[in-house]
Amino acid sequence: MSPQIIGLLGFAALMVLILLRVPVAVALGLVGVAGYAAIDGWERAFLVLGATPFDLASGYSLSVVPLFILMGVVAARSGMSRELFAAANAQFAGRRGALAMATIGACAGFGAICGSSLATAATMTRIAVPEMRRYGYDERLAAASVASGGTLGILIPPSVILVIYAIIAEESVPQLFAAALIPGVLAALLHVAVIWILVRIRPELAPPSPVMPWRERLAAIAGMWKIGVLFFLAVVGIYLGWFSPTEAAAVGAFGAIVIAAATRAITLKELVGAFLETVATTAMLFFVVLGAFLFAYFVVQTQLPVALVAWVEGLDLAPALVILALVVFYIALGCYLDSISMILITVPVFLPLAVHLGYSPVWFGILLVVVVEVGLITPPVGMNIFVIRAQLPDIPLGAVYRGIVPFLAADAALVLLLLAVPAVALWLPGVLY
Amino acid sequence: MRLGALITTAARLLAGAAALILAAMMMITVADILLRSVFAIPIFGTFDLVELFLVGVIFLAIPLTLLREEHVVVDAIDHVVSGRTRTLLRWTGAALALLFLLLMGLNMIQPALDTLAFGDRTLDLEIPKVLHWLPILVGIAVSILTLCVLLLRIVGGGRHDSDGT
Repeated sequence: MSPQIIGLLGFAALMVLILLRVPVAVALGLVGVAGYAAIDGWERAFLVLGATPFDLASGYSLSVVPLFILMGVVAARSGMSRELFAAANAQFAGRRGALAMATIGACAGFGAICGSSLATAATMTRIAVPEMRRYGYDERLAAASVASGGTLGILIPPSVILVIYAIIAEESVPQLFAAALIPGVLAALLHVAVIWILVRIRPELAPPSPVMPWRERLAAIAGMWKIGVLFFLAVVGIYLGWFSPTEAAAVGAFGAIVIAAATRAITLKELVGAFLETVATTAMLFFVVLGAFLFAYFVVQTQLPVALVAWVEGLDLAPALVILALVVFYIALGCYLDSISMILITVPVFLPLAVHLGYSPVWFGILLVVVVEVGLITPPVGMNIFVIRAQLPDIPLGAVYRGIVPFLAADAALVLLLLAVPAVALWLPGVLY
Repeated sequence: MRLGALITTAARLLAGAAALILAAMMMITVADILLRSVFAIPIFGTFDLVELFLVGVIFLAIPLTLLREEHVVVDAIDHVVSGRTRTLLRWTGAALALLFLLLMGLNMIQPALDTLAFGDRTLDLEIPKVLHWLPILVGIAVSILTLCVLLLRIVGGGRHDSDGT
């Protein structure tokens, strides 16, 4: 059997195991080792299996992950998201659908320090949805604005998933963060535009909100200083050359703890809980990355990426068309896989293809994250939807999915923009580096 | 069941240790920046220590996440199968995880012994690299025991909960 056939069988086995509820890390690891053994023998496969945990965990650059997660967890537990929502709401006051727009704004701001879509959606569900319900918002719009706004968390830097991509693709974290900034802001604006259009077409979805005096608005903006300070330390600090990514993450986490403690927004018990939550999330993430490394070794042995490049070359398609086909593939895959698994499984195969077609790996990473975002809100495995449902079981799942549909237009517009104008992602890193 | 409680406690203690190590990792990095910026005296070996701490943060927390069944799982099938099938799938997933970790654990012993025999050390502080293996081996060993407890718990009709109890 040729290595390529073994590779394809490996992918099929992987999908079956994952859909049969086997933990993604275990499915990746077992298929990776068994596939490697089928090509190169058990002895070599076991050598790789035994050495990978040590190789993976001993990388200094990976220490950025738990520290950024800690910053987000402390910020979430100390109620910074509530102040952010109030500030965003003040900016949209006077407009119909202001609370839904504020939800998007708050999600974007919270994503800027949190880096996780699920945490952003979970946090904002608790804050924004009850408020929107109180003011008589349509529950589909309320739930969908949190679900789609939550997806901004993985795009706006610092993003944990971009760090994971950087690890797999061996790319620079600061460059990826810089590349994600403009698409992240654009995504937020496009989501707000969707709400603006929706409530103009169907005013019954959201009531008009009262106008707020400028003094109150400014006071509300001042209330988000904590998030501003953390974003400055954790992201701007990297570009000013003050810190490496790991140092920026450590300073951000430390800053979040100091601010939360100084403003009495967190108790010692909650802080201990934040540390425990962080190490659990880190262990869960790295366990998947460990499995993905084993799977990636197998993929390299199969020479599937080389075969894929040769096959696509034979088709003689325009590069943009190939990327568009990949986007469609990712959206379909996103219906069944979570975002981390999708990136870890596919990058070893598709990144070489994208690079061969002349696309920058940084640009491809941003496109990937944008497309993966869509998977977070599409049925049947829409993780953000599940998070909202877990907290608001009285909102029917179907209603949330129906509410999501208009927001998919915003994601589609961003994907097309990235395809048509790669500079949307590449301009800022080009200026900074 | 006493053994099960003991392993559960061990998993929790290791997660607590991972949390403390994370705090140490953050503090030493911040202290290094402050001392470097204010007094031009960086902490020698910060890089080595952060690397060592990271291994602890990752591997010492794995047992508790396994016990709580918090690992990434695509559970779309839950909506279309009976409760009994769901339990069977949970058991199968845990059994495969046990197999994976057993294989990994067994195959880590030799490279760990090689690291000890060769006396590999880190660049700055010359910390024996075998120390990096310690949290990995402990974490994987306790994870294996934890999965045995989990398997028995699933067979016994136990429901996983956030406390891992």
